[in-house]
Amino acid sequence: MPTASQISSLSERRASAASPLLVVDDIVKRFATPEGEVTAVDHMSFEVRAGEFLAVIGPSGCGKSTLFNIIGGLLDGYEGRVTVAGEIVRGPHPSIGMVFQEESTFPWRTVSENVAFPLEIAGMAKTERMARAQHFIDLVGLSGFDKRYPSELSGGMRQRVAIARTLASEPKILLMDEPFGALDEQTRLLLGDKVLQIQHQLKQTCLLITHNITEAVQLADRVLVMTYRPGQTKRMVPIELPRPRSSEIVSSDAFGRYVAQIWGDLREEASRGMRDDEQHVAERKS
Amino acid sequence: MMTLRGYRVVPFALGLGTLILLIAAMELLIRAGVVNKFIVPTPSQIGGAFSRVIAEEDIPHRFLVTAREAFWAAVLLVVFGIGIGVLLYRVQLLRAATETWVAAFASAPTVLMYPLFLVIFGRSEKTIIMMGFIAGLPAVILKTIEGLSGTRRVLIDVGRSFNLTEFQLFWKILFPAALATIFVGLRLGMIFALINIVGVEFLINFGGLGQLINDLAERYDLAGTYAAICFVILVSVVFFFLTDRLERWLRPAA
Amino acid sequence: MAETGRLTAPAAPFVGPVTLVRVAIIAAVLVIWEAVAASGLLFRDVVPSLLVIARALVELLTDPSYYFNLGVTAGEIGTAMLIGGLAGLAVGILLGANPLLASAYEAFLYYLGPTPKIIFFPVMIMWFGVGPGSKIAMGVISCFFPVALSAAAGMRGIDRVLIRVGRSFRLTTWQMVTKIYLPAMRMPVINGVRLGLGVAIIGTLLAETKLSNKGIGFLIINAYSTFNMPRMYALLIVLFVLSIGVNALVGRFGGVETRKT
Repeated sequence: MPTASQISSLSERRASAASPLLVVDDIVKRFATPEGEVTAVDHMSFEVRAGEFLAVIGPSGCGKSTLFNIIGGLLDGYEGRVTVAGEIVRGPHPSIGMVFQEESTFPWRTVSENVAFPLEIAGMAKTERMARAQHFIDLVGLSGFDKRYPSELSGGMRQRVAIARTLASEPKILLMDEPFGALDEQTRLLLGDKVLQIQHQLKQTCLLITHNITEAVQLADRVLVMTYRPGQTKRMVPIELPRPRSSEIVSSDAFGRYVAQIWGDLREEASRGMRDDEQHVAERKS
Repeated sequence: MMTLRGYRVVPFALGLGTLILLIAAMELLIRAGVVNKFIVPTPSQIGGAFSRVIAEEDIPHRFLVTAREAFWAAVLLVVFGIGIGVLLYRVQLLRAATETWVAAFASAPTVLMYPLFLVIFGRSEKTIIMMGFIAGLPAVILKTIEGLSGTRRVLIDVGRSFNLTEFQLFWKILFPAALATIFVGLRLGMIFALINIVGVEFLINFGGLGQLINDLAERYDLAGTYAAICFVILVSVVFFFLTDRLERWLRPAA
Repeated sequence: MAETGRLTAPAAPFVGPVTLVRVAIIAAVLVIWEAVAASGLLFRDVVPSLLVIARALVELLTDPSYYFNLGVTAGEIGTAMLIGGLAGLAVGILLGANPLLASAYEAFLYYLGPTPKIIFFPVMIMWFGVGPGSKIAMGVISCFFPVALSAAAGMRGIDRVLIRVGRSFRLTTWQMVTKIYLPAMRMPVINGVRLGLGVAIIGTLLAETKLSNKGIGFLIINAYSTFNMPRMYALLIVLFVLSIGVNALVGRFGGVETRKT
């Protein structure tokens, strides 16, 4: 049994170490479906430290998007708790910025009006917020496109606008749900570079939900591998690749080993997912 | 609706050429006596009547009368059409109860109520404006609802992720997202309104351009009647064309 | 612990909230109507009592001349739909199949469509006389445009592979039209026909109100000129019920899904 003085020094030591920015504590989320009750997330717990990049990877249907919506405060009715910077998340929290998978730029606003949106909501004056927005537009590499409309941009550029918009609200943690899902592999790698640069520059804490192993290993400090539904933590893999990183790392041996390791875990889960799908179709037919 | 991608020379020439050919053929057939000239005046006579009608029948004034009626119908459509549309969108129960009624109303021959409105409002511009308004109302309401409820889920999520209030969510996201569709509804509504406005003007022999046609017909001014009809068609086509362009100009930004 | 097994929905209530709201709205309208009728606010007879209207409705439906006139109007509309519909279909298919013709001529249809056709009535009278002929003509020019435009759009919307299948079986033009084009574009054509029916009804009836001694339109304007307001309301009620009903029937026949509200 540790003594009282030992306990206090333990907690002091814990406090002096970087305390986690985001704490996901024993989340359980169930849905009622026509086929009965489904557990999407099954007792998941993990932490994200300040300045860290955590990637959550899992097969389709494993509950990652549910997790995304829960942490982002857009979904409730779950057991467990999400805390950010010490505060319990009970709805969209100002310290959490969300970047969605689908096209989410406002088509009726120009790029700079899109990026300035959170500043406009916060009541910032026009000249000030446009100038501030320009800073984030430059950060994502879209300088010169500020007066364009999203319809004039490519898919990758539009996602950059969405990221810039979220960054403009200066969230403590950037929560992204497969933001590059709709893009081709090369664009993904290059945008991944951009994200790495931004993260390095801003020391931004990031939580990325993805199904792409290359992306996860390229960007993250740690990779959380989820099981297929019901979603649980299968493994937490620390990625010890040097920082600052660039997309060149993709061709290194160490990178390949990480990918192979994670794929080993993931393949099992993905196969379970496929068999489940086939079973569902077979059942529905009969 | 079909989109005309640019104006390629051959089809344009073909279309225009056919029209000119038909007009020329009519001219010849009528002069030759094949087509009775007391039923169809020659195109050249109609052309001549054009300038006469414009000079004698005070076209600018008549045009303004019709335009004024259209303007008031438009105001009513914007206020009540969009207003009711927003109301139905916000109150789910009301929408579920009445949306099919509005859709049914859209296919009903509401203009046939004009004798009723004649009794209520008399032979006046009020009758004409009300008929136009009623004709266009269902389209505006339905398109407003469609636009608002068709807002992509993710845009609403973005708003929620920034913790917008209900009010902000509606004005900064839902309404701008719906604006393009709302404008389509307004345009559709105005087209129906205009058709009914000119039609009722003709039927009750009151007002601007529609009344002109009726007047000329009752005076047995054959060429004049044809010319006036052509003129109204021209105005209608120009209106339709301009609003089409306007809608497409608004579309890319929305 | 998660429960396994199916979740059953609670039994639906006999009278749902939607029905209640509808009943409430109708009841409110009727009550307000009767109140206005009784108060004499608007000058007499513009808002007759519901009983008076009901009586006029019964008189109308038991009046053989009503059915005669209904028959006349229905005949005019039917003929107009037949002529205008077939012509519209033919022209639409032709334009939809041939991009050159379409880019040359479809603009005419597109821009002439939304014009008030009733203004052509004097010309129709000159060409077809004061009898049913001019009314049918009004119906024809009204319904031609929506049908033609929908057919053209429908043709262009047909999955190209189906056309290749037809060609690979060396079908004649008639077979292509009846076995491939028409079935493939059933939906847009049905919608075009519904639209066409709507405007044909309007065109024919308006023509009847302007110059006729037969038909429902004539009855309406007759009720106006004799200031028989209850009769006019009865006629309008019957007209609306019939046209909405026919429209719904055409839609049902075409297999249109009613939108779930």
